[in-house]
Amino acid sequence: MNNQSVRQLVCYILVSMVMFAGLVSQSHAVMVGTDTVAAEVASDLGREEIKDLLARQDVSDKLTSLGVDIADVSDRVDSMSDAEVAELNQQMADLPAGGALGTIALVLLILILLDVAGVTDIFPGV
Amino acid sequence: MTSRVFFLCSVLLSGCVSTPQTDQLLAGQAENSSRHASHHIEGVPFFPQNDYHCGPAALATVLSVSGVSSVVPDDLVSKVYVPDRKGSFQVEMLAAARSYGRIPYIIEPRIEHLIGEVQADNPVLVLQNLGVSWYEVWHYAVVVGYDLSSEKLVMHSGEKKRRMTRLGVFEQTWQRSDYWGVILLKPGKLPRQVDEQKYFLSVVDFGRNNPAVDVEKAYQAGLERWPNSKIFGFALANLHYDMGKLPEALAGYRRLLTVAPDFAPAYNNLAQLLSELGEHTEAIVMAEQAVALGGPHASLYQKTLDALRQ
Repeated sequence: MNNQSVRQLVCYILVSMVMFAGLVSQSHAVMVGTDTVAAEVASDLGREEIKDLLARQDVSDKLTSLGVDIADVSDRVDSMSDAEVAELNQQMADLPAGGALGTIALVLLILILLDVAGVTDIFPGV
Repeated sequence: MTSRVFFLCSVLLSGCVSTPQTDQLLAGQAENSSRHASHHIEGVPFFPQNDYHCGPAALATVLSVSGVSSVVPDDLVSKVYVPDRKGSFQVEMLAAARSYGRIPYIIEPRIEHLIGEVQADNPVLVLQNLGVSWYEVWHYAVVVGYDLSSEKLVMHSGEKKRRMTRLGVFEQTWQRSDYWGVILLKPGKLPRQVDEQKYFLSVVDFGRNNPAVDVEKAYQAGLERWPNSKIFGFALANLHYDMGKLPEALAGYRRLLTVAPDFAPAYNNLAQLLSELGEHTEAIVMAEQAVALGGPHASLYQKTLDALRQ
């Protein structure tokens, strides 16, 4: 095979790939997707529409900076919906992170009293 | 100092000891014949919490009950734990459940709904603030039973298995997380008390990263529950189209249009499918219907029709 025919072959493959891609996207371009309807339902429920394409990277960076292993971050962020990514991205500093069961001495007395009163539930024995 | 502490306590207490949901639940129990006075979900595994890992422990509990075998809290630490916050975010708890093929469904923020799910053997993963607003002690636990006669919930919580918690105290601690509670659904199962739109969005989120056959089961369950639902009929037909199950997709769009004859997106998608199946004349009729109905996607319908007429 000489250079000329290799070039022709590559050209042919490229052109057919582009045409195929065009056909595929065209046949899907005219369908109304489930995501579109889901966005309308979310809006009915008063949830904000989210279109922040950079948020996933931001959330990944923030989780890494909070000590999450960099090898785990992308899987974790991939499992989130766009709305969840946006929520985490905007509010990470303020969101509760369930996990703690520990108490410092200064507030111990007050907390025991509050436990007895049934306002808090920190001490299993009370 | 002591008097100041007591003053502070009395100020705090006066503002916060109110448990309207518990009061309402207990007051209405006599008239509610469908709700059992007590129920304990059998065979819920217990994973005692290590360190600050109540998120992984609670999540492993509900995953196990939903049929995910051999998952232990240590497997989940790398999925939900955030070292510098010594805890887990709610969003990540949901996302991790999806990565195990389960659909997380956030229940209505009401104790009666929580009790209802427990009665249906769905343990509820809850977020509580065991402390107060100025000293937060965020904690995940799992409600595995209740006994309304003694006004108690049974919880797998922290290092305590089947811990009895007073309902009123629970309401206080749960209210601080805006009554956040989640159940995990195996695809095809529905919550005992379910909202069509919320369940639909839960499945859409689940569908992003899960096999089409599981998403199919979840939409089918929705369509069985709400046979006239536009969103489930449409989503299932779209999914069948994407899966290459064209006869099912065709039947789905046609059936949907008998129950929702004004639903333009279904006409549009049916037109496209018909044209792929070689039914050109009927495709154009359907596309014209979509254009005639119009709506937010009118320009897309016009595009479909123009393409078909070429």
